[in-house]
Amino acid sequence: MPDNWSFVAAAYGLTAAVLLWYWLRLGKKEREIAVLTRLTAERSRGPSSSGHPRPEPGSRTPLQQNQRPGAP
Amino acid sequence: MVRVLGWLSAAALAVGLVMAFGVAPREVTQGNVQRIMYVHVPLIIASYVAFGVLAVASLVYLIRRDPRADRVAHASGEIGVMFVGLGIATGSIWGKPTWGTWWTWDARLTTVAILFVMYVGYLLLRAMIDDSERAARYAAVLGIVAALDIPLVHFSVYWWRTLHQPPSLMKPGGFTGSSSILWPLLVNLVAFMILYAYLAARRVRLLRAEAEATA
Amino acid sequence: MSYARRALAVAWKDLAVERRSKETLNALVFFSLLLLFVFQFTLGADRERLAAVLPGVLWLGFVLSALLALGRTFLVEREHDCWEGLLLASGDKSAIYLGKLAGNLVLMFVVEALVLGLFVVFFDIDLGRALPGLVVVVALGTLGLAAVGTLFAAMTANIRAREVLFPVLLLPVQVPVLLATVKATEGLLLGEPLGAVAHWVKLLAAADVIYLVVSLLTFDVVLEG
Repeated sequence: MPDNWSFVAAAYGLTAAVLLWYWLRLGKKEREIAVLTRLTAERSRGPSSSGHPRPEPGSRTPLQQNQRPGAP
Repeated sequence: MVRVLGWLSAAALAVGLVMAFGVAPREVTQGNVQRIMYVHVPLIIASYVAFGVLAVASLVYLIRRDPRADRVAHASGEIGVMFVGLGIATGSIWGKPTWGTWWTWDARLTTVAILFVMYVGYLLLRAMIDDSERAARYAAVLGIVAALDIPLVHFSVYWWRTLHQPPSLMKPGGFTGSSSILWPLLVNLVAFMILYAYLAARRVRLLRAEAEATA
Repeated sequence: MSYARRALAVAWKDLAVERRSKETLNALVFFSLLLLFVFQFTLGADRERLAAVLPGVLWLGFVLSALLALGRTFLVEREHDCWEGLLLASGDKSAIYLGKLAGNLVLMFVVEALVLGLFVVFFDIDLGRALPGLVVVVALGTLGLAAVGTLFAAMTANIRAREVLFPVLLLPVQVPVLLATVKATEGLLLGEPLGAVAHWVKLLAAADVIYLVVSLLTFDVVLEG
C-alpha cells in the first residue's frame, strides 16, 4: 500500500491552517475592541481635561481690569 | 486563565503531533495515511462536545436569560462548526486513498454532514439578526431544536445505511487496536478538548468585550 | 377568550384569507403541476425507473410545496403591519402557534391530495391497498414538517434574508422526517403492509411528538419580540 504522504500533509496542513486563521482572527478582533474601548473611555472623560485652564469670568481684580493687554 | 489554557493546548497539541508521527506505528493495511486519524477523530469528538455545550448553554439561556450562557453557546457554535468541518475534510482526505472515494453516503458520514449544515444554519441565524437580545433568544430555541433532533437524525440515517467501520473506541469488548495506536489517539483527543476550551474561553471573553463596547 | 377558541380563531382567519385570495393555493398548485410535467419529461417513458424514484419524487413535490406554504405563514401579518399585534396578544401565545399550524396543515393536506391525485392519474399508478397506509405516512410526515416549519417561519419572519434562511434552517432538521416518509412510502408502494414499515412510522410519530412539544414550549419565546 503506497504511503500517500501528500494526503497526510494535506490533512494536517489544512487543520493547522484553519486553526491558525481562527486564532489570528481572534487576536485581530481583540486588538480592535481594545482600541475601541480606549477611545470610548477617553471621549467620556470630556474635552476639559486636555485644554489649558481659563480664568473664571469676573475673577480679575480691579487693577488687572484697568490694565488691559495691549493698552498704552 | 485563558493564557494558561492557551499554553496548555499548544503543549498538548505538540505532544500529540510528536506521538502521531513518532510513537504511532506505520499501520499494516492502510500505511501512513492512517495517521490522519489522529486529527480526524479528535476533531469530530471535540465538535460533539462543543455542540453538547451549545445545547446546555441554550437551555440555560432560555431559563435564566443570562448573557454569559448565550456567549458560551455562540462561541461553542463557531468552534464546533469549525471542528466538524475540519473533521469532515480530514475524513474525506483519508477516505480517498483508503476507500477510493472522497465521499460516501454511509450512516456516520451522512449524520455528520447533517450536523454540519444544521449548525452552519445556527451561525447564519445569529449573523442575520441585528438585535442581540433577539438573536440570543432565537439561537437558543434553534440550539435546543437541533439538539433534540440529533437522536432522530442518528436513527433515521442508521436504519437507512451502514457501511462505516464499527466504532472501535466504544465497542463493548473494548479497544482492539494496539496501545501504540491508542495512546497517540487519546493524547490528541485530550489536546483538542483543551484547544476547544481555550478557543471558547477566548471567544467568550471577546464577545463580552464586544457587548460592553457597543452597550 | 379560551385557549382553544383563540387557536381556532387564528386558523379560521388564515383559511378565510386564503379562501378569498387563494394566493398560496394557486402558487402551490401551479408549482406541483410544473413538477409533474418536468418529471414526465425526464422519466415518463421509462416505467421501471419511474417506479423506482416515485416515492422520492412524490415527497420532493410535497416538501417543496411545504417550503412555499410554510414560508408564507406569517406573510399576511408582516405585509399588513400586524406583527406587533401578535407580540402584544395577551395570554398564552402558543394558541397562535396551534392556529397557524392548523391552517398550514389544512393547506398542505389539500395540496398533497391534489398532487397525489395528479401523480396517480398522469403516471398511471395503482394505489389500491397502499392508500390507507399512505394516508397515515403522509399525515405524520406533514405534521412533522409543519410543526417545526411554523416555528421557524415565526423566527425568520422579520429577517432580511428570510427566503433563503428558512429552508436552510428547516431542511437539515427535517432529514429524519424526509428519510422516514420516503422509505415508508417506498415500502407501501411496493405492496408491503403498514406493519413492514412500522419502524419508520414509529420514528415519524416520535419525531412529531418531539417537534410539537418543543415548538409549543418555545413559541412564546419567539414571539417575545
